[in-house]
Amino acid sequence: MKILTTVKRVTDPDMKVKIKPDGSGIVTDGVEYKMNSFDEYGVEEAIKLKEAHGGEVVVVSVGPKAATKEIRTALAMGADRGILIETDEDLDSDAVARLLAEVVKAEAPEVVLMGKQAVDSDRNQAGQMLASYLGYPQATFAYSLEVADGWATVGREVDGGTSTKRVKLPAIVTADLRLNEPRYASLPGIIKAKRKPLDTKSPSDLGVDITNKVNVLKFEAPPARAAGQIVDSVDALIEKLRDEAKAL
Amino acid sequence: MAFDLFNPTETHLTFRQMIRQFVEREVEPQAEAHDHGEQFNQGLFRKLGELGLHGVTVPERFGGSGMDAVAAVIAHEELAASDPGFCLAYLAHSMLFVNNLAINGNDEQRQRFLPGACDGTLIGGMCMSEPDAGTDVMGMSTTAKKDGDDYILNGRKMWITNGAISDTDLGDVFLVYAHTGEKHQRSISLFLVEKGMEGFSLGQKIKGKLGMRASTTAELVFEDVRVPSKNLVGLEGGAVKSMMRNLALERLTLAAMSLGIARRCVEIMNSYAQDRKAFGQPLNRFGQIQRHIAESYAEYMAGRSYVYQVAQNLALDAYGQRIDSDGVKLYCSVMAKNVADRAIQTLGGYGYVSEYKVERLWRDAKLLEIGGGTIEAHQKNMTRDLTGLEKLL
Ligand SMILES: Cc1cc2nc3c(=O)[nH]c(=O)nc-3n(C[C@H](O)[C@H](O)[C@H](O)COP(=O)(O)OP(=O)(O)OC[C@H]3O[C@@H](n4cnc5c(N)ncnc54)[C@H](O)[C@@H]3O)c2cc1C
Repeated sequence: MKILTTVKRVTDPDMKVKIKPDGSGIVTDGVEYKMNSFDEYGVEEAIKLKEAHGGEVVVVSVGPKAATKEIRTALAMGADRGILIETDEDLDSDAVARLLAEVVKAEAPEVVLMGKQAVDSDRNQAGQMLASYLGYPQATFAYSLEVADGWATVGREVDGGTSTKRVKLPAIVTADLRLNEPRYASLPGIIKAKRKPLDTKSPSDLGVDITNKVNVLKFEAPPARAAGQIVDSVDALIEKLRDEAKAL
Repeated sequence: MAFDLFNPTETHLTFRQMIRQFVEREVEPQAEAHDHGEQFNQGLFRKLGELGLHGVTVPERFGGSGMDAVAAVIAHEELAASDPGFCLAYLAHSMLFVNNLAINGNDEQRQRFLPGACDGTLIGGMCMSEPDAGTDVMGMSTTAKKDGDDYILNGRKMWITNGAISDTDLGDVFLVYAHTGEKHQRSISLFLVEKGMEGFSLGQKIKGKLGMRASTTAELVFEDVRVPSKNLVGLEGGAVKSMMRNLALERLTLAAMSLGIARRCVEIMNSYAQDRKAFGQPLNRFGQIQRHIAESYAEYMAGRSYVYQVAQNLALDAYGQRIDSDGVKLYCSVMAKNVADRAIQTLGGYGYVSEYKVERLWRDAKLLEIGGGTIEAHQKNMTRDLTGLEKLL
């Protein structure tokens, strides 16, 4: 089985976000970059599928040259080969989906595994858009995945509970946190990854115009929260919620 | 790519990030409790084996990862930034036992012990110090007398990291130095001593350590222990060289631990001094605090550059690289203790309690001025090596 999985290079989600004075973006000096954590679940699931069914895991990233590091990490976890679509532009989800669509057409995998969203911009769109550009079925927010006889059965996290969806392959599946426990890239894995193939392509090689349709105008910090209060009893709390906060 | 002394190849960089991620998720959350309870975390130790860390310098055919001294430094720097105590147990196993045997043992011995030691199912250590001989190593009194095809080992070893894995259980296997000739002859030999050998027992697990409490330290007792000659490592009487060779890597990685401690302390004091306000300003607007932060950073970077420069040039199987392996540990151990001290000072009362971590790092930092050679021993060795050198090229 051929499985395609995607990884995005993102700023460390645990850092304190600082916005540039002109609001054009966030300050990235001294910031660490990592693989998007939801993508780790996607990569892990792809490797598990390969371990169960045999085949090949192709890992794809859209991003700057430095994103080869995130691809190598996925290769060190156990993926077989990498493709970097190299661009220094800050793309919207739509441009990313159109780039990935060309790679998927060329590679023809049976399953495409992605993170449900990227933890830098939290847009939660690329997977859905990719499915619609390709005309593939999609199952988002997966917490379980089984593949048999050309179909995938996907347990999904939905508002207020879970649901199960069956989709015909090829399909797009996006990973949520409960899907698995991503393995670490072991040191022997890292050494093996050096020898695995990694191709670089440009958006123009794929014939895709990456002009953004969605443009970011300005970054702003949310207003500072007012200080909290400590009350000494539940009754006092209820009173405050009712009279001051008008929340009851 | 720009020149990166600390991550000379992409493999080193990926390796560092893998460990850092592992440390954030799995090491950091357990550090305080294991320090507090003076307990060794065996489960976590096993996980280092799955990641390939125990055999970082061991050839792949013996279950290792076949990397270099720089990779060993990276591993220690990253682990010690969170949990120096746990890292010391890692060092005693992977550097003092695993690497020591990989370099100085024969193929049969490597085959017998390294696969288990690399995956973390066997816990090893190294026994040099004794109750009455530390800095004065040659003054050790443990002896091994040839008896037919065996050696009969007698003596006591003190301060042995991983000597016990709990209050009552010995570690699995040890490299033990002992005299095989008259004391004045410098004829020291190295033996593999295994748990279960008759006469080999746990004297005591040492309690009440100031720091490094997540590693165990023990006194080990050898009473007429019969060690077969297949457990003699290297030549009889020839162990001084192997000892020196391994000490170089030990000191380099202990210095790397100091770097991890210093980095963490700089991070903590730097962010605290931005958030904490006094007299209407963040602490980092005050000149005295600026001095703590800036000098700590500069000293940390100086130490870091020295360590990686030496690591780049340290051949694992070479002998006679003493001056700089002593030098990095002399400089970095003192540096990290001072940086931890300034971090406590910058945090004031908050620095003095466990929540902000710098008090634990300060306690752990102190050991690095003692273990693996005291700073006075480094001063002695280095000055001897410098004597007669007219120019430093
Ligand atoms: C937590 C911990 C873990 C350890 N783990 C191990 C281990 O795994 N394996 C192992 O073999 N050992 C281990 N050690 C032992 C360690 O290496 C020794 O403690 C160290 O070498 C110092 O020896 P000592 O304690 O006997 O002190 P001593 O040698 O008695 O020194 C006492 C003081 O005298 C000074 N001094 C001694 N000689 C001279 C001199 N010629 N000139 C100037 N000053 C001198 C020393 O610098 C020191 O300040 C460990 C120690 C500790 C505390």
